[in-house]
Amino acid sequence: MSFLQPILLIGLPLALLPVIIHLINQQRHRTVRWAAMMFLLDAKKMTKGLARLRQILILTMRVLAVATLVFAASRPLAGGWISLAGGKADTLVVLLDRSASMEQQNLETGESKRSTALARLADLIEKTASGSEIILIDSATLEPVKVTDAAALRDLPATAPTATSADVPAMLQKAVDFLVTNESGRTDIWLASDLRQNDWKPGSGQWQALRSDLAARKTVRLFLLTFPSVESNNAAVTVSEVKRRRTPEGLRLVMDLAIRRQRPDAATGDETIPVEITLNGTRTVEEMTVSGPELVRLGHTIELGSGNERGWGRIDLPADDNPADNHAFFVFDEPATRQTIIVSDDPLTAEAIRAAAAASTDPGVTYESTIIATADIARIPWEETALLFWQAPLPAPGTPSATLLQQHLTAGRGLVLLPPSDDGGAEIFGVKWGDWIGDEANPLKINWWRTESGLLANTRNGAPLSVGDLTLFRTRLYSGETQSLLKLESGESVISRVIPDGPSSEGETDSASAANSLYVWGTLPRTDHSSLATEGVVFFVMTHRALEGGADAVSRARSREAGKTALSGYPKMEALSLGRESDTLLAPGLAAGAYASGTGEDDRRLIALNRPAGEDDTRVLNPEALENLLAGVDYRQINDEVGSGSSLASEIWRAFLIAMALALIAEAALCLPPKPEAEINPLKSMT
Amino acid sequence: MSRDSNRDFLDPTVLGKLLGLQLNARSPMMGNVSGRHRSPVRGSAIEFAQYRKYVQGDDTRRLDWRTWGRTDRYYIKEFEADTNLRLCLIVDTSGSMGYGEPGSTRLDYARRLSGTLAYLAGQQGDAIGLYSGSVGTYRETPPRRGPQHLGLVLDQIAALKADGETGLIQAMHEAAEKIRQRALIVIVSDFLFHPEPLREAFQHLRFRKHDVSVFHLLDRQEIEFTFDRPTRFIDLEGGASLLADPTLIQRRYHEAVKDYLETINDIVNHSAVDYHRTFLDEAYDQVLARFLMGRNPKTARTAR
Repeated sequence: MSFLQPILLIGLPLALLPVIIHLINQQRHRTVRWAAMMFLLDAKKMTKGLARLRQILILTMRVLAVATLVFAASRPLAGGWISLAGGKADTLVVLLDRSASMEQQNLETGESKRSTALARLADLIEKTASGSEIILIDSATLEPVKVTDAAALRDLPATAPTATSADVPAMLQKAVDFLVTNESGRTDIWLASDLRQNDWKPGSGQWQALRSDLAARKTVRLFLLTFPSVESNNAAVTVSEVKRRRTPEGLRLVMDLAIRRQRPDAATGDETIPVEITLNGTRTVEEMTVSGPELVRLGHTIELGSGNERGWGRIDLPADDNPADNHAFFVFDEPATRQTIIVSDDPLTAEAIRAAAAASTDPGVTYESTIIATADIARIPWEETALLFWQAPLPAPGTPSATLLQQHLTAGRGLVLLPPSDDGGAEIFGVKWGDWIGDEANPLKINWWRTESGLLANTRNGAPLSVGDLTLFRTRLYSGETQSLLKLESGESVISRVIPDGPSSEGETDSASAANSLYVWGTLPRTDHSSLATEGVVFFVMTHRALEGGADAVSRARSREAGKTALSGYPKMEALSLGRESDTLLAPGLAAGAYASGTGEDDRRLIALNRPAGEDDTRVLNPEALENLLAGVDYRQINDEVGSGSSLASEIWRAFLIAMALALIAEAALCLPPKPEAEINPLKSMT
Repeated sequence: MSRDSNRDFLDPTVLGKLLGLQLNARSPMMGNVSGRHRSPVRGSAIEFAQYRKYVQGDDTRRLDWRTWGRTDRYYIKEFEADTNLRLCLIVDTSGSMGYGEPGSTRLDYARRLSGTLAYLAGQQGDAIGLYSGSVGTYRETPPRRGPQHLGLVLDQIAALKADGETGLIQAMHEAAEKIRQRALIVIVSDFLFHPEPLREAFQHLRFRKHDVSVFHLLDRQEIEFTFDRPTRFIDLEGGASLLADPTLIQRRYHEAVKDYLETINDIVNHSAVDYHRTFLDEAYDQVLARFLMGRNPKTARTAR
């Protein structure tokens, strides 16, 4: 148990006063020469059990009364968890989930899950952890920050709301790393989160290592301050696939607009929502009727009018439980040319790719495709290349070519590694070419291809690509950490997406997207290798999907998920519009909004940052899943309600005073003389 | 009687008041000399008793010639025989009899009662005996008449000391065995022991056709037990002392006293004992007056 005035506990021995007084009183008895001892002995014999018990109870009540008074004066703290924790930790690490879903509010108090958690933790630190080292690790930056003033915890920029997602295993790993680095002693880790599956990533491979790390550290206690409740009155808006189209009627903005609502009657009732659309600062309100839980408008069109060839916009919903998902930002500009570079000395292959990549799929966009020989790599226009086909020996890491490829990927552009005919080269991105297999006489049999995502995914209307009709004669094996998209019967992968090295986390968007844009094709669009070129549909789709993945990187208007590195690499960033005014204080990339980079026309870039789509996923971890994630770890979970007035460490002196009053009442009741009618007068009874 | 410091338990004023009351037995007594008390045998007193037929061997001098003259039958005319009374005092001298303030202990009260009764009996010409003692110190003075013996008994009463455990039951049985003729036995005690043995002792005395009277001396504090703070009680009969909080045990104490008194009442009722519960704050002359008047057939109704 913790006390705010533990010094007053020195007075606890005073609780023995009643016993001492009782003993003194017994010593101060008078002495009487007595004849009728037989009655005394009989009376003592009869009263031995009950009277002694009564006497003991009276003394106990008196001791309790004094003890509770001393305890009350020492200002004890309750909250179960604190008292169970048994003492103050040397270090208190606060892990704060700053994801957008933590902004769910209690409309009566105006407090969000995040602010409620901060208030609880600040109160806890003030009351119980004064003198402990306080370390804050927030989900948005994952940087350990030393906090000196617990009262200021809510006002720190590092605890402000963001539009990001959280990565709970990464946060815990950071905490463990911090403890290892600083050789912290007794440590309490307080993790405040809303238990969203999207943030906790139960499928992450990090959990196993975390579990063993945490379980092995006996001086570390983990407390989960969780807010698992889901919004009951909320609507969220998302915008995707924003494209500027030039039509005979003029410029239009086409986008996919989705409004998802959570209401008690969301499944059945219709609701008209006034949606505010802002375009380069001009606001209009359009009423949209939502039937059922979700309204999806694919190809929602906004007339841009003259003078709005480039710019930004936002869509806002009326205030509800979660203000963080009430806005979606978008930017638009002249579409960039989708430049494809094919580095190859194989004219058949290069020409097939060039033809596919140059074919237009969007009339408003220019497609260009260039073949460059392996000896002319220096001619590659890296900044303008959306997709690069590399059919050359893989460069060794550290070489200029490898560095350029790395930068190309880091910028989010696409890269497809094609097998060179002879020398495979070194290992890069974890990929190394192996041997060729197959010949024209014995076609390789396709066993399986990935239909839910990737280059060979089904079309939008769910129809599968005709991959099964392809014929493969030769393919080159490769090794590396890849996600197979097409497999042979023999189990070898022909087409794969390279899985990024290490855990993906918030702030690693670029590397993640880079990896998403890195593919390995084991076969070539040559008639002696495959029927890719002749069965052109699959090859065309694969090429353009890869090109689409890298096209955003060269676009002047990009839409990205908010994150620590979402705006890195963009100089002279300026916020055009933000979700909330106070977001200007946040670190770059953490707040949803529309941003502009650069000063001149050439280097001007527009970026829209929105919360990750996963933040709209309301699924929370159930207790069993949480138990499984933290199996073997000594942790305690405190489920809290957003905006509730309770405290993690509330003072309970009132309870002690009540206990004292009860003890005194009990003592008085025990001291009461027997009922008058039950009194025995031996003389009266004998007359 | 001279004022002797050893006999200060005798108050001349009280004696003067009580001399007018006669000490009677409730049943005929077997004295060895003529006296004021009825005898179970017929004698030649002036009070007519009955007629009975003459049988051979009867003293012809006792024939009622007038009846013979009228009826021509021989009848013997019998008269009551008056005899003296044997007063046997049994005084408990156990340690508990020493309860009370010096000069007004229970034993002092017993001295006054027994001494005054002895004096009254002596004045009536009755024989007086004294049996007393506690465990290990039994004393016996058989009943005799005469002033000299009265003086001896009074001296022995003056010399009584309260000490040790009670030997009253033993003294009662001894008296029952040794007093062969009918006597008035007056027992003065606090009876502060478990009372069941008394039943047998009383029955033993009644079996010997003695007239048994009892003065049960009690202090009101012993009954009411009105202490209000922890007290160490020291046993007057030498037992272990006891520290107790009277407020805690008062109720049980009263229950124990009630049971005890009910048992005593039951015993004396079944033994036909003339029982007098006496509190030490009562005037002993009034107690004795009530006792004496209760035994006088003429005043018995008003006394009770």
